[in-house]
Amino acid sequence: MKIKQIGATVVVAAASVLLLAACGSTKDSDSGSSSKGNLATNQTVNWMESSQLPSMDSSKATDQISFNMMNNTNEGLYRLGKDNKVEAGMATKTTTSKDGKTWTFTLRKGAKWSNGAEVTANDFVYGWRRTVNPKTAGQYSYIYSGIKNADAIVDGKKAVNSLGVKADGKYKLVVTLEKNIPYFKLLMGFVPFFPQNQQFVEKEGKTYGTKASAVLYNGPYTLKGWTGTNDSWSLVKNNKYWDKKNVTLKKLNDQVVADSNTALNQFQSGKLDAATLTGQQVKNMLSNKSMKVRPMARLAYLEFNQKDKKVGKAFQNKKIRQAISYALQRKQMVKNVLADGSIAAPGFVTKDLAKNPKTGADFTKDADSDGVGISYDKAKAQKLMKEGLKEVGLKKLTFTLMADNTPQEKNAAEYIQSQIQKVLPQVKVENLNLPYKTRLQRSAAGNFQAVITLWGADYSDPSTDLNIMTKDNPQNNGSWTNKAFNNYMDKANDASADQTQQRWDNMVKAEKELMKDQGVVPLFQTSQPQMMNSKVKGIIYNTAGTPFNFKNMYVAK
Amino acid sequence: MARYLGKRIFYLVLTLFIVTTLTFFLMKLMPGTPLTNQEKLSPSQIHLIYKQYGLDKPVWLQYIEYLINATHGDFGTSFQFSDQPVSYLISSRIGASIQLGVQAMVLGVIVGIVIGAFGAVKRNTWMDSATTIISILGISIPSFVLAVVLQYFIGLKLGWFPIADWGGFSYTVLPTLALAMAPLAESARFVRTEMVDVLSSDYIELARAKGMSKTGVIYHHALRNSLIPLVTIIGPVAVNIMTGSMVIENIFSIPGIGNQFVQSVLTNDYPTIMGLTIVYCFMLTVVLLLTDIVYGIIDPRIRITENRG
Repeated sequence: MKIKQIGATVVVAAASVLLLAACGSTKDSDSGSSSKGNLATNQTVNWMESSQLPSMDSSKATDQISFNMMNNTNEGLYRLGKDNKVEAGMATKTTTSKDGKTWTFTLRKGAKWSNGAEVTANDFVYGWRRTVNPKTAGQYSYIYSGIKNADAIVDGKKAVNSLGVKADGKYKLVVTLEKNIPYFKLLMGFVPFFPQNQQFVEKEGKTYGTKASAVLYNGPYTLKGWTGTNDSWSLVKNNKYWDKKNVTLKKLNDQVVADSNTALNQFQSGKLDAATLTGQQVKNMLSNKSMKVRPMARLAYLEFNQKDKKVGKAFQNKKIRQAISYALQRKQMVKNVLADGSIAAPGFVTKDLAKNPKTGADFTKDADSDGVGISYDKAKAQKLMKEGLKEVGLKKLTFTLMADNTPQEKNAAEYIQSQIQKVLPQVKVENLNLPYKTRLQRSAAGNFQAVITLWGADYSDPSTDLNIMTKDNPQNNGSWTNKAFNNYMDKANDASADQTQQRWDNMVKAEKELMKDQGVVPLFQTSQPQMMNSKVKGIIYNTAGTPFNFKNMYVAK
Repeated sequence: MARYLGKRIFYLVLTLFIVTTLTFFLMKLMPGTPLTNQEKLSPSQIHLIYKQYGLDKPVWLQYIEYLINATHGDFGTSFQFSDQPVSYLISSRIGASIQLGVQAMVLGVIVGIVIGAFGAVKRNTWMDSATTIISILGISIPSFVLAVVLQYFIGLKLGWFPIADWGGFSYTVLPTLALAMAPLAESARFVRTEMVDVLSSDYIELARAKGMSKTGVIYHHALRNSLIPLVTIIGPVAVNIMTGSMVIENIFSIPGIGNQFVQSVLTNDYPTIMGLTIVYCFMLTVVLLLTDIVYGIIDPRIRITENRG
């Protein structure tokens, strides 16, 4: 986090330092194996989830709890480590064709499923085909887009076995792409691309993935005690895992604690080693040394509907959009209004999502141009609004701000309303808070004037965010278009595998253009505040995709 | 009696049918879809997934199919928990809810009777005022506030009972207390009023005049007669416990169906919402039926009027 705001008060600065400390400490979790001299005798951790575990079927799961559990009990071609670095998984060697469209993975010999069967290339072919099969009705099949024929199969237009994946013997997997996917390696560590043992899945039939005994495991842990509907289960070290010598933890007990007050009480009594907090609690616990604020790759931003009949013309004016952005004091909003661990938006791409392939700098650092598009400046806001309104021939501007009816979005919308009306007297904002699903429907149908949108990244690459704002993207609800931006994104999306640096630079330029033109107004990045026992170490947390990797977790003395 | 029972059972089935129908169509009016990834799917993908779940058919057809399956005990599979039959989802979680509900009901009603009777006997003393205060507090403090207070002081600070979770009798103590408070207050108030009435009636005077001891009169005549009307409040108390359990289960992390119900509404998990609504409705109508039957047995006047009518 960078303190860009020159006029920041001492209080704000102090809070930011505090947040910085909290954010920074999430990274101190070193990768286990190095410091095993001081291990506790009891290698057990008591963890919690805020809702139930719905599925252990990698073709069907859609939620983070399922993804977390599968990520720790199973393994794809790669495992995603710290900062989403690709680590060895089922694949030992990867070769790419010159045009980047054919990938050949050599699989690890002797990797075993928990029933003793060997993990082979066919398990990947079978699992992948099952995921894209429309009959499976999986909701993550869209992420296969770019693999040969995937889109057509998902849409029911081509046969499942035409998918661009085939097994060349037991240990060779060949994947054919329609176009170059620069972040393809990251996807290979993502749960929807995990292997499935055909014989086992077919034997289980409808019950596959619905209870602990109806799943096979090839990852660091196996799942025990999950009946499919109960509220507690555990992860137990998998003695058949190929890298078991690097797994120190014996057991992780997991329990559903839906109420975060209860979770905090359980944590304070020592029953839990970790507790996820929400809302007001966070404000009270922010100074506690056990608190870890884990930023998520989830951004709240303001979208303007440029096609709206009444106010669309005003929103097409860049100065009006900029004026609204300059009127907002984001740091004050996250600290005093939201107070739930959220951080002020660092841009359109979230913090801690992706790092510069060469320098290792965070994307938000590279793309920042002195806070353009995300900072507060009252004088500028007022000047721009005056000029903007004059340009479109208006005296006043009244618009409806649509948002979810969750406490967070409601608070944000109310803050935005009061702040805009305070700074810009010509503007009147009316608030409309709707249930999430209704809001989503209206956003997609273009039935809004301005809306607070929340977007979560699927994988650790800036394109997962930036592509939304390209022309004709279905998620570009406000219909903002910008030639230069589209141009940079086209270049980035067409870059070949060895052009990672050019691709990065193009995405940085695209982000800068988006901010300069104020295509959207970034508001805040959400986070998952968690109380953590300081003795539990080696947790790998990533902001996008699957949050937790427990492989190197251990309990220190 | 058989005719009376037959009639009541017919009404029970009719109620279930009406509730099922209403819930089904109201639920279909709820905004949104059961898809979690809706914003990231293309319209044709959404259509294919709908087809897989049978959601592309007209609503009336879905309704008829649902009814036919439901009469066979098949409530479909959950959307949220992929491939999990709703009947299993409910049957594996209902035990905890029933145990908690029954414990709270029994504890609440028994303690309520004792407190209420005590208040009536010691009428207009400080003890009577104390029982009144207890019942007013019990009715006005929501169970979830009491739950949080119990959890913090008895669970965390004193450590007498587990803070939350499920696994043995000690885990049920705090949630039972939180849930029992409302029925306790309700029945205490009711018993006190009834008993004050009864205590001043002629037959009590007579019994005392015959030379019966005070405790004997209270136990044999006064208390027994005041308890008959208590049966009528069992229905409302059961409703109270069922709705209260949704919050209490959440606070104490109890693997029951109350928790599940809230979750299924939030995720538009149609089959689970339907299944749980039917189960709740069934439990409530059965409790009402039982109270009617019990009332008929202990109070002959009801039976007689029914037969004449």
